[in-house]
This record gives sequence, structure tokens and C-alpha cells, in this order.
Amino acid sequence: MNTVDEILDYAIDQEQQAADFYADMAKRAEKGGMKEIFLEFSAEEERHRDKLLNVKQGDQELHANQAVINLKISDYLVDVEPHENISYQDALIVAMKRERAAFRLYSDMAEKVTEPALQDVFLGLAKEEAKHKLFFESEYDERVLKDN
Amino acid sequence: MSLKDLISPFFVWQRAFEKPYTVGLKPIVERPGAPAYRGFHINMSDDCVGCGSCFTICQNHAIDMVKVDGLEAHGGDSGLRPRFDYGRCCWCGLCVDICTAGSLRMTNEYAWFTTNPDDFRFVAGMENKSWDGRTGGYHRHPDYHLFPPKRIEMEMLAPEESVASFTEVAKGYTEEQAKLEADRCVECGICVATCPAHMDVPDYIHSIRDGDYEKGLQLMYRTNPFPATCGRICTRRCESVCPVGIQGEPVAIRWLKRFIVDQVAEADYARILPNVEADTGKRIAIVGAGPGGLSAAYYLRLKGHAVEVFESQAQAGGMLRYGVPSYRLPDPALDKDIEHIRSLGVEIHFNHSIGRDTAFSDLLDNYDAVFVSTGLNVPSQMRIQGEDHPRVMDGLKLLDDVANGKDPQIGTSVAVIGGGNVAMDAARVSRRLGAEVTVLYRRRIEDMPADTEEIHEAQAEGCIFVTQAIPVEALNAAQSDQVTLKWGEAEMLQDPKGGRPRPVLQEERMHLDTFDTVVSAIGQGSNLDYIPTEISDQLQIKWGKFIPGDYQQMVLNKLFVGGDVANATADAISAIEDGHHAARGIHRFLDTGQRG
Amino acid sequence: MPQPPTHSSSLDMAQPEPIDLSSGKYVKLWQGPQHPGITGNMSLELTLCGDEIVECKTHVGYLHRGFEKFMERRTYIQNFTVVCRIAVPEPTFNEYLYSAAIEELAGIEVPERANWLRALNLEMMRLASFLMWTGGMSGAFGLYTVPNWTLTYRDYILDLFEELTGARIYHMYIVPGGVRNVLPDGWKARALEILKGTEKMMREVDRVMMNNAVFKARSKGLGLIPPDMVDPYGIVGPNARAAGFKRDLRKDEPYLVYDQLDFEVVTATASDAYERAWVRQQEIFQCINLIRQMLERMPDSGPFQAQMPNVLHWKIPPGETYLKAECTRGEYGYYVVTDGSEYVRRVHVRGPSYTHAIAVMERLAVGTNIADIAGLMVSLHTYPPEIER
Repeated sequence: MNTVDEILDYAIDQEQQAADFYADMAKRAEKGGMKEIFLEFSAEEERHRDKLLNVKQGDQELHANQAVINLKISDYLVDVEPHENISYQDALIVAMKRERAAFRLYSDMAEKVTEPALQDVFLGLAKEEAKHKLFFESEYDERVLKDN
Repeated sequence: MSLKDLISPFFVWQRAFEKPYTVGLKPIVERPGAPAYRGFHINMSDDCVGCGSCFTICQNHAIDMVKVDGLEAHGGDSGLRPRFDYGRCCWCGLCVDICTAGSLRMTNEYAWFTTNPDDFRFVAGMENKSWDGRTGGYHRHPDYHLFPPKRIEMEMLAPEESVASFTEVAKGYTEEQAKLEADRCVECGICVATCPAHMDVPDYIHSIRDGDYEKGLQLMYRTNPFPATCGRICTRRCESVCPVGIQGEPVAIRWLKRFIVDQVAEADYARILPNVEADTGKRIAIVGAGPGGLSAAYYLRLKGHAVEVFESQAQAGGMLRYGVPSYRLPDPALDKDIEHIRSLGVEIHFNHSIGRDTAFSDLLDNYDAVFVSTGLNVPSQMRIQGEDHPRVMDGLKLLDDVANGKDPQIGTSVAVIGGGNVAMDAARVSRRLGAEVTVLYRRRIEDMPADTEEIHEAQAEGCIFVTQAIPVEALNAAQSDQVTLKWGEAEMLQDPKGGRPRPVLQEERMHLDTFDTVVSAIGQGSNLDYIPTEISDQLQIKWGKFIPGDYQQMVLNKLFVGGDVANATADAISAIEDGHHAARGIHRFLDTGQRG
Repeated sequence: MPQPPTHSSSLDMAQPEPIDLSSGKYVKLWQGPQHPGITGNMSLELTLCGDEIVECKTHVGYLHRGFEKFMERRTYIQNFTVVCRIAVPEPTFNEYLYSAAIEELAGIEVPERANWLRALNLEMMRLASFLMWTGGMSGAFGLYTVPNWTLTYRDYILDLFEELTGARIYHMYIVPGGVRNVLPDGWKARALEILKGTEKMMREVDRVMMNNAVFKARSKGLGLIPPDMVDPYGIVGPNARAAGFKRDLRKDEPYLVYDQLDFEVVTATASDAYERAWVRQQEIFQCINLIRQMLERMPDSGPFQAQMPNVLHWKIPPGETYLKAECTRGEYGYYVVTDGSEYVRRVHVRGPSYTHAIAVMERLAVGTNIADIAGLMVSLHTYPPEIER
């Protein structure tokens, strides 16, 4: 990945894969109401994808320097394997962990590359993922940690 | 006639050289009214809750409570505002004295001229008047009251006494205390609108003043077949909106409800309360014998339907029995409510689990309607490392064990994680089992979802509260029968998008503490696994909760739902209302075949 | 100068000669109900022979508002806004007696500070009422300067009332349970200043009215109440004290804080118009003195209202009581019956004007000159609203 476009293509592909993953989970989910949840997750990922597509076309910009709150909720949770009878809490953990992994990946890449333009893209993507993580962590904070 | 008497009157001339009494050069110099003069009314409409006490006390009927454009009724506000008729007003100011919200006062304006007689009837504070913005005028002296602002204290067991046993902490009002407390009610009815079950609070409080407790009981059973229970553990949203509480303490509605039930013997219930109507031949299955299920059962049975309740536990009551400790809700009180419902012929199948003993689809096939109220009984997992440590247990299990008379073996030092009512119950139960208790909560005390009263009582009973503490790992301790909890301090961060502030872990401030037991009580979820996927796929379910339509009816016409598993508030009174509402919907559906 | 009526005995009730109006000897004259020489909305039906009144009948009914009945349909707290209207120039006595009667029946103990504030209000009311009467009395005898002085000072006292109670006339300050407010900042100093001015002004009134040859000539001997008429006619207050009766409820059956105050009952020797005026002048000075004593000695802190039940549905146990207080005209009384409900069963208000303006007036008028009838009436100090309630 040596150009901005290549990086963006990779990122777009990742979002698409995530959307597909959730769509697949939606098909397999057994618990009442989980289908809709996964479809919502999938739609959320598609929104992420679309935003990156817009960035690629120059309609939108990534902001490498924006401040994103890190609630650090997912940092200390155990890993959860997705399965057919997954609960809402675990589904959120899966989602948070995925976004966190992506955030880490882009942050590491930003450190590795030297070209400032590429660094900016990776940092921008990392911030995007941080926002996605915040979205799911806020949801977790609201709904799962209600009494906590 | 003396000469002196002739001359003396000429003394009046002396006054000719004195300053005149009248003020100023102009004949009409406006003299402001005295600072406390009772002039024209002004009402801080934002503070007013439309309780109508001004309307009630006005002996001239000069005040009407009217609907005002742009003002909607909402929790704690009737949406009505006082309209004054100056053709009737005598400026006594009793309306100001009685104003519960303290929003009404009088300005010290003396005079008002208008050519339009209709102007003299106006909604104070909602129409522009010449005295708007005047600061002086009559207001109630803070030490002068037309109703007692302080509530009659409920006698409680002393904390050192209460932690020693599971005896009920609140002792209940005496008749004298109850009458004094009942006297404080201003009968505005804002509580009725706020209560999820819309209980007729002012009228049953009135029955206490009249000493007619049988009538009080009848009034309560119209909307709530769990008065003994709710009289002890209700979340009492009514009290949070009681206008008497705005400048004083709200009427102790919950304790008054309990008082009425305590006055009537269970043996008299059959005579006082309504009886079952003629059999309709319809059969209704109810899943879960908690407050929601039994409330539906009660109102359906009254209508003459045959009601069967399926309960997986050995006793009825659901969370009321297995989740609420007996020092808050003693079994006899709960049994009093349940026994009356059963006495009407409601059949309960105990230890009978739907999904295991009977298929859910069989219920739909074999009964005319099904009401599901299975509650939230799956504890949320912390999902931290080491959560499966043998010395980590969940709060519901602890409460369940204690309710069933089992010793949960928690040892002598316990950490309770969470800030909800279950956490408070777990903490206070642990205290009663002889443990030193530390409550760890990730946010601040004021963010705790638990009842303030429970928080205070837990503190009084010696539970130590550590707030802004986030557990991150459970580790093996040096001793095998202990557990070490790793937790970090948190900073509260205001979410720019709004909502309550969110805690953020501060990694550099970690702590290690060792306990005999760590009790996790961070929330509960539902278990709907008994519903086969082919049925649940047709239903609207979100975040583990049913989304019912009108009358608690689901897309499947026969299926009605309620209680914690179908509402956002997840408290007993909402479940009771869901059950009642569903019962009306089921009766209507069976009677007319109409959906809600 | 008219001769004082010569009663062999005031109780000589022998039928007078029948009056034959068709004889042309007599003139029938109505004084009132709208007449400056009448103390309110009532009227006197006079039968004259020349200038001399041979018969007087009092007619009331112009003011009947049915307050006593009206109160049976109002809650206890609502009635407190009604009672002040029973005697317009002296609402405070109604407020006090109604509240005290209700408190007695409800078993409510009023805090000490409220008792001082109540007594202070009653004396201020007495002062304001006497000042107005002084104006009326001098006016009735053609002295039009004095009313300007006294009414001005009455207004200054109403200013004090306005500051303390929030209203000038219908104060609605003494409420069952206590009072509604405490003395505002600086009020005491302003009150003392006004009392000083009132005292000075009253000394001047003494010169131009009480030591006025015209006033003396016309009022001395007018409407003489012989001592043996006092009890049978139920005459009270300054009218009785001027006849030498040392009767004052504040002294005889002290209520509120009167047993803690220093004062002597003012009496005179012959209750004619002049002496009655003289007694009232002395009582104005006494009143100023009492207010000063109270301002000095009343507590400045502490509760001013008893612990009250919720007045919106206040029930009072069955019972009855008669409470009385010394108003400017004598014994003012409230008879209150409760039946355990939220409403008063019966209220009866005893105003001294009932006897003074009807039986006494009808008796004293006979034999007086038509020109003195207004002065005679004012000298009895009557308020028609309390006759009718």
C-alpha cells in the first residue's frame, strides 16, 4: 500500500467485509431481535464504507487531528466468539473489539510509514475507527452498563 | 363659657405655617405600594406545575385552571395555569400562600386601567401586563405555611439493629401518623398522571383521613392488585412529582398505601373487594408469576376468564420474592397480595418452565390468549478477565440463595460491583450475613440508578462506597478461598453529544484489593430462548425486550407481553400496569376480536 | 341651647302620647340611608315637633350581606378573608376573634410572638378607628378642620398597616394559627415617628375641639346616658365608661398580652356626648402608650404561626365557644359552633353597635334638637355593617 488510494481501497474493503460479516450474522442469529441488531450493525458499517468512498472521491475529508474520546471500555473486556445464539452484550463486544483492532492497525501503520501524506491518511483512518469504537462503546455504556 | 374656650380654637392657624401633608408639587405623584403590598398577580409559569391549589383555596372562585396555548401536560405538570378574574378577586393572597411551587406572588402595583373589560380576566404570567418584571410585592413568608411542609418521619430500625437481621426496616405508620401524613395531600392529582398504573392516589389518601380503609383498599385494587408490595418497594414516581415536595417534602404516598393495606385483614378481602364475574369459557395462559403476570391474571380472572399461570420457580412473586430482600418486602406482605389473586381461582403451575416442560407454541395453540411476562433474570456479565473465578458470584444468585434460605457462603469481606437496586440489595444482604461490604461503582453516587433511600440506608448500615472505580480483572489471591480484584480509578467525561457523563479508566491509577467474594450486580437481561426462532422472527424484539403495540399486544394476535421484558422502566409498578393494560386488551380482543 | 332630656328614670317606659300625624303638628323626616350625618348605610325615621324629635326609629337592612350564613358555606381558611368585611373601619377585631375562636375549637396554641403582633395590630386598629371617629365627631358639630388632621394621621397608620400586612383596610393579617408576616425592617422606627406626630396632633385637637366653646356648648348634656340605663340596654365600651363604669375587657378578662401591659381604664362621670368624646380622646393617648410599650417589649424572633394542618381540608371537632374582645365601641364577640366537618356550623357576631344604634339611639334621640341628631349618633360611635353582618 503505497498510495493514498490504495490505502483507502483497503480500508473500504475492510468496512465492506465488516458489513458482510454482520449481514451474515443476521442470517444466522437465533435470539429474538438479534437479526435486526446485526442488520443495524451492518448498515452502520456500510455508512462507514460510504464515507470512505466519499473521501476517495474527494467529497469528504479525513481529519487526522480531531479529538475522539476513548472510553477504553473494550480494552479490558475478554474476547467473545461470535455464534448463532449470541446475546446483545456479546454482539456489542464483538463490534467494539473489531473497531478497536482496526484502530490499532491504522495507528501502527501511521507510525511505520514515513511519508507525511500517507501518515495523515492512516491517522485519519485511525480516528475514524476510534469514532466507530466510541459509537459501540457508548451503546455498551448506555445499554449494558445501565446499572453500572 | 370661658374665654379660654373661645380663644383656644384659633390655635388652628398655627398649622397654616406647617408643611402640607400632601406630597410634591404635582397633585398626582405616583407613590409606590409598600414592598409587601398585595397588588396584582404574577405567576412564574415555568415554575408553576398547575396543581390547582390556588383554584381550590380561592373563596371567590376567582381562579380557573385553564389550558394555555403552547403548554403541554407532562410528568409533574398538569399543563394548566391559573386564570384570574379581577371581577371576583378580593386580593386576600391565599392563592399565594397555598402555592405549592412558590411560583405565584403579587406585585405591589396599585392601579391598573384598561378600557377592555375582558382584560380583567387573564392568565397570570402568560399575558403581558404593565406590572411584569416588578420585583416587589406580596409573597409567602418562608416560615408561614398553610400545609405542613415536612413529612411525618417513618420510624426505621436503627442501622445497628437492621444489619443484625432480615426484619423489615420500615416499621409502618401508626394511625395517628398516617392521618397526619394524609392531611398534607393537596389533592391535585398530578401523581395520578405520573403513576404508571394511574392509581387514584388523592382518593385513597382521602380515605385515610376519613378512616375508611376498606374504601381505600377498594380504590387501590381498581388499578393495582399488589398494594401491600407497592406500599413497601414501589419506585414511587408519584412522590418525585408531588407538588408538596417542591418547597417541602413530598407526601409519603408509598407509606400511606402500605398503611391502608396493613389496616385490613386478609380474611376481609373477599367481602370488601370485587368478586369474579360469570365464567366466559375462555382460557388464558400467563407465563411468569411475577407482578406483571399476576396483575394480568387478577384482572382477567375478575372478568370471568379461566387463567393458568406457568411459573418456573417454586413460589410466585418473581423478582419481588427472589430479588427483593425480606427486610424491604417481608414474605407475609407479598403473600397477602398473591393469596388474594389466587383466591379468585387463578391457577398457578409451579416449577413449570415454558420451553422445557411445555412448548411455547403449544400455549399459542391451546389457549385463547397468552400473556408473557418473564422479566429480566439473566445477570449481565462483566466480561472481564477472571470473571469465572470461583469467588466471583452474581448478585441475583446471592439474593436468590438468601430468599430460598440457602447460605451463599460469602465470607467476611465482600465487594459489590454496581450501582443499581440489585447492587444495593446485594450489599445490604451481605451486611446482614456479617460481611464487611465495599460497593464499587464506575460513576458517581448521583449517577446511581438505585433508589436514593436505598443508597442512604446502605451507607447507614455501614457499606463503604468507592465510586468512579472500574473493575478490570479478577485474579487469584494468595489464599485459595479469596479473590483479588484489580480495579482502576475513573474520571468522568462529559459526552459532547449529551447524556450522562461517561467514566473513563485512568490506567495509571490501578488498585489491587483482596476479598472473600466479589459480587457482580451490573444489570440483568432477558432470556427469551424459550421462544422458538420461527416465532421470535415474527416478533418485534429489541435489545432483548419485546416491543409491544397498543394494549401490550404483539404482531401475533394472541400474544400479549408486559413487565420488565417489555418496558424500559423495569419496575414493579410498570409491570403491574402492563398486566392490567394487557388484561383490558385481552378481554377486549376476546370479546370483540379487535386488535388494540 | 337644648336642655338635656330629663328622665325621671331612664327605664321609665311609660307609653308616650300617641302621635297623630294628621294633626299637622308633626313632621316625618328620614335621615339616611344616604346622608353625611349618618355613620353608614342606615337610616333614622324621625318624627319632629318643631325642631324637637318626639320619636326616632332606626331602620337597617341596607347593608345586609348575610356574612354569617355565607360563612357556613366556606372552609375555615376561606372565612378568614370574609370576616374583616363585617366592620369596615375595624376589620382587625373580626380577624382576631374569628381566628382565636377557631384556634380554641381546633386546640391550636398560638406562639407568643404572634400574640404580641396581634395585640399590636388591634391597638393600631383602635387608634386608626378613633382618629376617624374624632374627625366624624368634630365634623358633625361643624368643625371641619379637625377631620383633615385626624384623617391624615389615620392614613399614616394605614401606611404602617400596608407595610406590615400588605393592605390598607382589609388587612387579612391575623390568620387562624398566627399572623402572616413579621415587622418589616425599620418599621418600628417609622411607627414611633408616626405615633409622635399623632400625639402632637391630638394635643392640638384637644385645644381646638375639646376646648372649643361651640363644641362644648353643643355636646355637653347631649344624649346623656344615666348609669341605670347602662346594664338594661347592654351599653358597653366608652359609652359605658363615660358613665363611670370601670369596664374594659382588656383589664377585666385580659386576652393576648394585655395582662403584661401597663394601663388604667379611663372613666368619666356623666355619659353625654362631650364626656364620651373626652373618654375617647384619653383612650387615643392610652392607645399610643400601649403601642409604644408593645414595640419595646415584643419579641423580635421566634415562630409567629402555630404548626398548622393542611387548611385545604381542615376539619375541626364539634364544639362551641364565645370569645370577646374590647373594640373601640366595647365588647365585640364571636359565637362559633363547629360540628366536626370542614365547615363552620354557625357563626354569630355580636357587634356593640347593635344596641347602641338601635335601642339606645331611639331612646336618646327623643327630646333632642334635629340639628344635634348627627352629633348624637356619632357620639355613640356606631358602625352599621356590624349590626347586619
